[in-house]
Amino acid sequence: MKSYIYFIALLVFGLSTTTIEAQSANDIFRAAGSPHNPKVSVAFNKYYTAEGLATISKKIADAYPELVKRKSIGKSTQGRDIWMLAITDYSVGDADRKPAFYVDGNIHSNEIQGGEICTYTAWYLTESFKDVDYVKQMLKDRIFYIVPTINPDARNNYMKEGNTAHSPRAGLIALDDDSDGLFDEDGYDDLDNDGSITRMRRKNPNGNMIVDPLDPRKMIQIGPDDVVTAQRYENLGGEGIDNDGDGSINEDVPGYYDPNRDWGWKWQPDYIQRGAYKYPFSAPENRAVADFVLTRPNIAGAQSFHNSGGMILRGPGAEEDKETYNRVDARIYDAIGNKGAELLPGYRYMVVYKDLYSVFGGELDWFYGSRGVYTFTNEIFTGFAYYKNKNGDRDQAYKAEKDLLLGDGFTNWKPYNHPTYGEIEIGGFRKNVGRATPGFLLEEEAHRNMVFTFYHAHHMPLLSVDNITEKSIGNGLKEITAIIKNDRLMPTHASQDLKYKIERPDYIFLSGATVLAGMIVDNDDFNITTEQKNNPSKIKVDNIPGNSIIKVRWIVKGGGKVTVTVDSAKGGLISKKQS
Amino acid sequence: MKLKLQYLLLGCICFASTSTLFAQQNYQTTTQLTSNLKSLVSKHKSNAKLTSLIKTLGGKDIWVLTLSKGNPDNNPAMVVVGGVQGNYLLGTELAIKFAENVLTNNKSVLDNTTFYIFPNMSPDATEQYFSKLKYERQGNAKKTDDDRDGQINEDAYEDLNKDGLITLMRIQDPTGDYMMLEEDNRIMVKADTNKGEKGTYKVFTEGIDNDKDGAFNEDGEGGVHFNKNFTYNSPYFKPGAGEHAVSELENRAMLDFLYEKWNVYSIFSFGPANNLSEPLKYSASNAKKRVVTSVLKNDAKLNKQLSEKYNELIPNKNAPASITNGGGFFEWSYFHFGRLALSTPAWWAPEFKGDSINKAPKNRDANFLKWAEQEDVTNAFVDWKEISHPDFPNNKVEVGGIAPFVQNNPPYKMVDSIAQKHNTFILDVVKMQPSLLFTNLKQEKLGSGLTRITVDLHNQGLLPTQTEMGAKSRWLRKINVALDLGNGQKIISGKQRQLITKIDEDGTSHFTWLINGKGKLVLKAGAPQTGTQEITINL
Repeated sequence: MKSYIYFIALLVFGLSTTTIEAQSANDIFRAAGSPHNPKVSVAFNKYYTAEGLATISKKIADAYPELVKRKSIGKSTQGRDIWMLAITDYSVGDADRKPAFYVDGNIHSNEIQGGEICTYTAWYLTESFKDVDYVKQMLKDRIFYIVPTINPDARNNYMKEGNTAHSPRAGLIALDDDSDGLFDEDGYDDLDNDGSITRMRRKNPNGNMIVDPLDPRKMIQIGPDDVVTAQRYENLGGEGIDNDGDGSINEDVPGYYDPNRDWGWKWQPDYIQRGAYKYPFSAPENRAVADFVLTRPNIAGAQSFHNSGGMILRGPGAEEDKETYNRVDARIYDAIGNKGAELLPGYRYMVVYKDLYSVFGGELDWFYGSRGVYTFTNEIFTGFAYYKNKNGDRDQAYKAEKDLLLGDGFTNWKPYNHPTYGEIEIGGFRKNVGRATPGFLLEEEAHRNMVFTFYHAHHMPLLSVDNITEKSIGNGLKEITAIIKNDRLMPTHASQDLKYKIERPDYIFLSGATVLAGMIVDNDDFNITTEQKNNPSKIKVDNIPGNSIIKVRWIVKGGGKVTVTVDSAKGGLISKKQS
Repeated sequence: MKLKLQYLLLGCICFASTSTLFAQQNYQTTTQLTSNLKSLVSKHKSNAKLTSLIKTLGGKDIWVLTLSKGNPDNNPAMVVVGGVQGNYLLGTELAIKFAENVLTNNKSVLDNTTFYIFPNMSPDATEQYFSKLKYERQGNAKKTDDDRDGQINEDAYEDLNKDGLITLMRIQDPTGDYMMLEEDNRIMVKADTNKGEKGTYKVFTEGIDNDKDGAFNEDGEGGVHFNKNFTYNSPYFKPGAGEHAVSELENRAMLDFLYEKWNVYSIFSFGPANNLSEPLKYSASNAKKRVVTSVLKNDAKLNKQLSEKYNELIPNKNAPASITNGGGFFEWSYFHFGRLALSTPAWWAPEFKGDSINKAPKNRDANFLKWAEQEDVTNAFVDWKEISHPDFPNNKVEVGGIAPFVQNNPPYKMVDSIAQKHNTFILDVVKMQPSLLFTNLKQEKLGSGLTRITVDLHNQGLLPTQTEMGAKSRWLRKINVALDLGNGQKIISGKQRQLITKIDEDGTSHFTWLINGKGKLVLKAGAPQTGTQEITINL
């Protein structure tokens, strides 16, 4: 009886939500390129905590069970689930065998946009599946593994605790940064309780800074020839006190290690690569990703989201690792990266070691170097976004904070009585300004980054058996030739993969006749072939190159119409019967 | 009745032999090792603790035996590791005999030193020594695709001559590039055409090309090698390396343990790396690179000194060169963990001294066989014997060669004397360990309650408080020097707490403070790997 009432309540509740949507649907006009009446409504002009992202991903998975499987790939340091959405059209083909695209965000705690971009991508794929043919085809052919945050603990720490725009970058495993035997004992302190760690300054007749007479928010440096009549100040650094009484302020903050120096390709210890933790994948969040990826040989493309600076980055990360990336693969990277620069105005396509810095142990290097997966890292947001102008100078942030954010990004200077420094003033840009995209620009940035990943995913190998021909060669023998086609830019094996045989060869099977011999056709016109003596019905090919074909041939006896099957780890499993 | 008596007698003998602490007749299986460790610990409960860090995929415990007096964290620690590589069984025996020796004969060393002893890091692999089919396995129980062809364990060894050992096979074939060694024609060597030599044999390991890919026994059972799965110069994609460094349960469990043991100053391992017979060589250019590949200058000096000490006990005549294949434990323990790293295979066949009739061979294998003959080691060589081989139906194929394990693991009766020498050496190194002492304390009264305190902090040890490499690492603590002030005392000059990166062997750091006030104050200095010193000063 009671459960019956619950059922009615549920029904009414269900009705009421659909009623609201249906009602508003009548009042909505579709804007091109956006799902206008989604089953799951999400606002993309704000950021979500780890729990917030988890709730949205659950709603998406619940709303589209035929398109989404949601799974935790592991636990964070503090025991949070790391949620992954596997999105494909589950009604077509074997989901695990489709070429896969891996996306994650937020490896650096304060670099939060990836969480929203990944969520937007999952939301867009599911909500547009019905209406947009491009998405329908994409999910028929491919599967997306989307992990909105691979650093949920420190994402929350960034949002909920006193931090700057730059902290924390680390995960939350406690470390003894100052070698005193104590762990994380002297972090920042949000003295003015504004939720951000801003700056401390003190009036000092010998200080080297003054307040800009035209902008009280801004401090300017006094030059050697300047004649100063205004009040001088000294800069005391980020907000904090000496929590452990050791004579230093904020010297042992939560962390500190860099999760993006923790990956298993050419990993180097901390004294060589600052930020490395104990050994590859010693941060549990990264281990969860690596263990997941190692069980998914179908992953052919990958993307991670960071901030900021407007960059589309590829490896090599370290100058010492130059040899790993050769010209054949650089051409593929360039084609996708340059397209990205077009799709993402204000972003530049760059190579990490020569255009940014030379580092070991990054995620993109592991994906490529160790798994042979073409991978980019995007540094989301650049000052370009404020005025759609490349020539913004350093004052642009002050201008934008005033004119575009209407003063919502700065804590004005206020006096404070500091236990060590005495009377000081505290103020400055809040942590959500400078790196995190402002709300009114976030949806655009999410969409543009998503279409970049779609372009990349589009160019993962797409295989087909193009043609099967038959020729009688006498004595009851037939020669069967099959053309296998790869319609997209990427080969089934990157050159790094070929060099080290990272992934097994592709197999091309013939069934439906007795095979006496099998060979790869190197040149059909001059009949140059390479015979495979052992197990000829299953021809092994090292690679099926991008935008290209390969020919294989069998000499068979008897049988009727044959079937040719291509089994490629990164290219999928496809089959065609002779017509 | 007679039978019963025999059983009883046998039982007594067995019991007696185990009770005289591991009167072991042969290298020990994992089961024997476990029971021997347990019985050792039960006899020395207050100084020994046995912990299983993890079970390998093969279901074997990774044991760490902690020897200490009181809290093990309170003294500087030495790590001793056996089973670094699955074909070096000797190391396991030496590690456990070292522990036994400390507990039964040298307990006083625990007053100042803690030992963490890992008897066998490759238990999945060493079991192969005790199996029906003996071969020098190094891989653990993980299923790996060693030749990366998409099939797992599809081409293992076969015991073609049914002797329970995997040796070699030679195939008479004019296209082969091997020939018989002149000084001992049981040994096959590569022909050198530059010397006018011509090969007439092919040589492979014993087995069949099961998957018909042209390679013999390239993907058998096992696995990832403990000694190839570390981060220094990782041999990516090579058989046994693992998909990434520190991918294996046993490697990870050990590192997770060691990274929490801040008191470790040295790691001594028994394995193919050898920086004791011959010290590591310093190269200025390689030491300066971002990715350091040379021992650092001061550490090289220290290595040389310790190597000389080692050679006095174990002469380096005929000692094998250090073998490093990338991803090794020894290299990790120095280059990436920054500890004083020492490694030796501990034993090798001595040089055979020939005479006018019996000439001393130049070839290493030939030397080994001569030595074995002289020592009556009967199982050293499997004589070549013709077999029929399905892959070579038209050729003469013979199976034979030096037996597995015998070149790295001496007849068991020699193990005791090898152990004694290594026990002595390790304890000699321990005597050199860093040890801090406050000395030359001076108090100068400057009047009106003001006192100047000066003191020297002296490292009495003959090892520096950290290696030069360790000083770069975040995983070794600096020396903390701190003042605990009494009531009403104030520091006028000097730091309440300060960090000293390193004090050299027999080196000194000087400190001075100006203190205002009266009464007691406490001065402390130390780091986990040096121990802590404390003095109380009365103002």
